[in-house]
Amino acid sequence: MRLTSAILVVCFSAILTCGVEAAPHEIAVQLPEIETSQYHRPYVAVWVEDAQQQPVRLIALWVEKPDWLKDLRRFWRKIGRSNTALVDAVSGATQKPGTYTLQWDGKDDQGQSLADGQYHLLIEAAREQGGRSLVKQEFMLPAKGAVIDIAADGELGDITARLH
Amino acid sequence: MLKKSVLLLSSLLISSSLSAHTLWVVPSHYVLSKPDSWIAVDASAANMTFVPDKGIGLNALKLYLPDGSVKPVTDVYQGKRKSMADVQLGGDGTYRIELANPLRFFTSYELNGERKRLMVNKQERTAQLPQGAANVETVQIRSRNFAYVTVNGPTNTVVKVRGEGLELSSETHPADAVAGEKLSFVFNLDGKPQAGVKGVLSYAGELYRNEAGRVDFETAADGSFSFTPQHAGRYLIEASYSADSATALADKVRESVTYTFEVALP
Repeated sequence: MRLTSAILVVCFSAILTCGVEAAPHEIAVQLPEIETSQYHRPYVAVWVEDAQQQPVRLIALWVEKPDWLKDLRRFWRKIGRSNTALVDAVSGATQKPGTYTLQWDGKDDQGQSLADGQYHLLIEAAREQGGRSLVKQEFMLPAKGAVIDIAADGELGDITARLH
Repeated sequence: MLKKSVLLLSSLLISSSLSAHTLWVVPSHYVLSKPDSWIAVDASAANMTFVPDKGIGLNALKLYLPDGSVKPVTDVYQGKRKSMADVQLGGDGTYRIELANPLRFFTSYELNGERKRLMVNKQERTAQLPQGAANVETVQIRSRNFAYVTVNGPTNTVVKVRGEGLELSSETHPADAVAGEKLSFVFNLDGKPQAGVKGVLSYAGELYRNEAGRVDFETAADGSFSFTPQHAGRYLIEASYSADSATALADKVRESVTYTFEVALP
């Protein structure tokens, strides 16, 4: 896990360096405080699908044990079950309640720029002994400074995506 | 030999006394994200979908591995209301868990106004039917009760139609059924799409709603049956096909299947 975090840091710095040329898209994801006797941090996946609902970029994945990856139902069906290498490359530790800002360079999993057109931003969260939430928000590329606001619901707090 | 036929006959009587019941096989998990996981498999003969009623013998329960090989399941327990098996899966891919009755032949006849039966096929019956047997009919029976379980990436080896008896095929892999998306099945008899297969579609939770929501269907000319599941959850398809199809071994064929599957959240 330490190794994964190290890789994550490297990835993030790489993204920041790229940011000099083109500002990355920023996605602020809030994990809500949930009052319950048995709180476990949620498993969270953030990714982009194209107009045909095919995944093009996995932006973030916060998980612990492989046993429960399947509980991120859509993530599992679309990406997780058949792309172990990508899951290993992107996954990081689960996070406590708070707001986290993710950066996306606008590229796909292979590092290629995405073609202009319609896409969806997907964020899925599943909590052990809790619920599951999925949000799916359409956006266009080029994004031309579009801002997406998604109100808190269930396992996910407010989400704001600033696209450049 | 006599003992064997008596045994066979009594098992047949048991299954016919349960004929109002539907035998289903339900794994605890249809989708897993960890290799070498254990699953529990419940099986019962019941009227209400997934509400266990009578436990059944699981000696014939088999696990088909993603590579197509077969493994008997030995950790089984037969309870009064349901039976259970412990099954350990292996690596990635789709598994088929199946409780099947092999091909059986069943000859019925009338003697002095009484209906009687023999576990013999059409060729064997000539030697065994008593003098004066009337209205003789031999039926070929086969049933399969199964479900698919997928570890990590889905595979197709054990999902493919084998070309024997009544089978289901679908363009949607069992691990890809999602609420709100259309599901199409084709019923095949001996590897060919079969019209006139009759069935019932149902889903879990009947005990807790007034409308059971069962769908009776009969396959179209292309063997197909389609529907769009509205709810995520566990579903059951029971289907059978009977036909007068005189062969060297039988006058009639009766094939039946029950298939349980999961419809995932979108």
